Amino acid sequence: MRRFQLIFALVAVFVAAPLACAASNSADVAHLHLQLVFPNQNLNTGTPVNVGLYFKLESGWHVYWKNAGDSGEPPRIQWTLPAGITASALQFPAPTRLPLGPLMDFGYENEVLFPFTVQAAATAKTGSAILHAKVDWLVCREVCIPGKAELDENVNVVSGTPVVNLISLGDQQLLARLANQLPQALPSSDTAIFQSTPTGFRLAVTTGQRETHAEFFPEDEDILDNPAPQTIAPTATGLVLDLKKDANLTAAPAQLKGVLELAGGRNYEIVATPGTVAAPPVAPAFAFGALASTAFFAFLGGLLLNLMPCVFPVLFLKGLALVQSGSEERHKLRAHGVVYTVGILVSFWALVGALLILRAAGATLGWGFQFQSPVFLALMAALLFFLGLSLAGQFEIGLTLTSAGGALAAKQGYAGSFFTGVLAVIVATPCTAPFMGTAIGYALAQPAAATFTIFTALALGLAAPYIALTLQPAWTSVLPKPGAWMDILKQAVSVPIFGTVIWLTWVVVDAYGANLLLALLSIFLLLAIAGWFLGRWPARRWATLVAVLLLLTALVACITAPRELATSPALLRSEGSAPRSGAGAWQPWSNDAVQHALAAGQPVFVDFTASWCLSCQVNERVALSQPEVMQAFGERNVALFKADWTREDPAITQELTALGRSGVPVYALYSEGQNNPRLLPQVLTPGIVLDAINKLPAAVATPTSASPSKQQ
Amino acid sequence: MKSLSFLAGLAALAVALVPVAAGAQAVVGSPAPAFTATDSHGQTHSLQEYRGKYVVLEWHNQGCPYTKKHYVSGNMQSLQKEWTTKGVVWFTVISSAPGEQGYVTDAEENAYLEQMHAAPTAVLMDPEGKLGHLFSAKTTPEMYVIDPEGKLIYEGAIDDRATPETSDIKGADNYLNDALMESMSGKPVAHAYTRSYGCSVKYAN
Repeated sequence: MRRFQLIFALVAVFVAAPLACAASNSADVAHLHLQLVFPNQNLNTGTPVNVGLYFKLESGWHVYWKNAGDSGEPPRIQWTLPAGITASALQFPAPTRLPLGPLMDFGYENEVLFPFTVQAAATAKTGSAILHAKVDWLVCREVCIPGKAELDENVNVVSGTPVVNLISLGDQQLLARLANQLPQALPSSDTAIFQSTPTGFRLAVTTGQRETHAEFFPEDEDILDNPAPQTIAPTATGLVLDLKKDANLTAAPAQLKGVLELAGGRNYEIVATPGTVAAPPVAPAFAFGALASTAFFAFLGGLLLNLMPCVFPVLFLKGLALVQSGSEERHKLRAHGVVYTVGILVSFWALVGALLILRAAGATLGWGFQFQSPVFLALMAALLFFLGLSLAGQFEIGLTLTSAGGALAAKQGYAGSFFTGVLAVIVATPCTAPFMGTAIGYALAQPAAATFTIFTALALGLAAPYIALTLQPAWTSVLPKPGAWMDILKQAVSVPIFGTVIWLTWVVVDAYGANLLLALLSIFLLLAIAGWFLGRWPARRWATLVAVLLLLTALVACITAPRELATSPALLRSEGSAPRSGAGAWQPWSNDAVQHALAAGQPVFVDFTASWCLSCQVNERVALSQPEVMQAFGERNVALFKADWTREDPAITQELTALGRSGVPVYALYSEGQNNPRLLPQVLTPGIVLDAINKLPAAVATPTSASPSKQQ
Repeated sequence: MKSLSFLAGLAALAVALVPVAAGAQAVVGSPAPAFTATDSHGQTHSLQEYRGKYVVLEWHNQGCPYTKKHYVSGNMQSLQKEWTTKGVVWFTVISSAPGEQGYVTDAEENAYLEQMHAAPTAVLMDPEGKLGHLFSAKTTPEMYVIDPEGKLIYEGAIDDRATPETSDIKGADNYLNDALMESMSGKPVAHAYTRSYGCSVKYAN
């Protein structure tokens, strides 16, 4: 028995080790930081204040939702409060699914804030008071560690007129950022019903729009088979979700309660009542007709991409290659056309595949996501700069790099065609051309097979003009005979290429700070020296070696410099707070700000943009910043917001998804009382914007007409 | 000849798959799925040989704080002693995969039993998680009770206090005791299925 007690004592010490005991409102315990979030020190009697309990977790660790799923326990808080002061129960934001081998838990990773309220009754003693909380929780990664902490919050109880005494701006920001993630009540116009099936439940929810993504988190334990996949069937006004019941569930519940998470981070509290739910059609959820027409528009979009400013230099290159190979036999031309097309197809598939895999892994990304990586931008700029040098005549890529093989020249040509196709796709992505915005938004919400069909159509559209030329020998015979003019043309093409380099450099510096400008220009210098070695001593092995070493250095610099030198977004914002368009009217976007403006009766216009998106820049200059447009915005008292997606921003990605889009540009005009904003086309003219402004409901109050409403 | 060996292969595959499919899932109120497993002394046990006796399955992970709650306090050991004395067969089951928390060799487990004065009938070693999947065991500890007719009569938590605190053992409603006592006195089990609490079973991923 003695030994037993010793072990008990030892393990008790071990178990108690993560216990934090300090008279503080925060604690750092095994794998997490937690704190009470009280922005305001004053507790006015009779007025409840919104506060919260915040967990910041180490990467990979999670805490649990109120229904933790197959294992785990939610955090709990126990209060010791002075007489007259009460605290409400913790409220739980919408969780995420946390798969664990064959099991499924529900909880939170990274960070979470549990909001609650504290209230002092009129009878509470005024003056300083200590709110004492005992918190315990279970934090898990592969292993689970129970933890507990005692936290003290000092408050000042005041009676009479409410006085705000802000003590922590950081706390206020935490609350503002995280307290609104609680699930909303389902609007009264929407319905939720469920029907029992032999295997579980069929849950039908209407939201007034087609829903393609949903996850249901049951509030009650032991109702559902948690790890079972939930199959969604979108309907015209909502969705039907097939849920598998827990094997041990004997009687159907009277209600099916829980949280329904929809695309775009919309969360609703659901209390579904029994009813009749028609079985969703067994056929795949997308209509073949819709797929065919979307694929057709994707093809048209791909065709138009050829004319976009970012793809045009590449097309130029391709035209040049066509003239050069004019002397070759026609069947080789055809082969080049096919290889170019394959290059485009393969890179589109690779991009879409990567996007789907990353999204399946939980990342919130949209189309053009690679332009949100400074490493990618730096590599692109370096590649195009080097290409420009070669075109301008500093050196011949073909001569030096393939002379060793001699006979390789022909093969090099095919590889060249392939990589021109790859290049075309990479530079084309930021130019989300007309037609493509909706096509891509639709495509990414479909089953993988449909997604790939649409992107294949897009790729074929992009490749079509060139392949048509190569497949139809009669057309190529119109091309002039090769000669000295070709060299001049080649050098001339380097001009738009260098133009693209300037644009990419501006994008990097604009989004990541001036330190990266130094790095980028140094990389260009290294490339120029490498080019000099290749051009001055062609076909010399040592010169090639020096050039390769320089290129490798440049490559490493492209990869490491952004991480080392990039300026944080917060710092950048404070450095140059003037909005890009120059007009002071544009405010940075946030969902809260939009709701706030709408609640105040203002219409709202949101410009979803990115500095790497050329069509966005063009629209802003040609349409949005025109004086007559700005004046019209002013007259109708429209609140203007700019959602800058240049860097990765999950909140903006979610909003884009909610709007059914996957990339920028998107222009949304909201007016009060309308659930869905009006989306403007992706190519703007002042007329289009003015027209949309004029169609705003006339009842919208302007600040001048609002005040004299009081009648004397 | 070739097609014959192909057919034979197909048949072998089908036979190999059948026990998994037929074993289905353990559901309270239905016959418990049959199993055969090896204990920490290398002896095999099949559920069939214990027909006529009550069988308790206790999912175990010695590194899990919730398991520790019941072992450090001596609660689990006294339950084991009490019920095995009354003729109940008690199997502790370890489904942790190699490399995961709670995985132990036979020798390590036997040393642990001695050190903790634990007294199960045997400890079934289930590193591949076969038994765990057969019973859909989710957490440690998680308790199952099979009656003398081979019917599963209880699945779930050991008691109603889902905490890792040893101080919560006293005063808790012990569901395992309830199930065994109710069933032995001919009454239906009031709480036949509860949500088990604790750490997730550390299956191979």
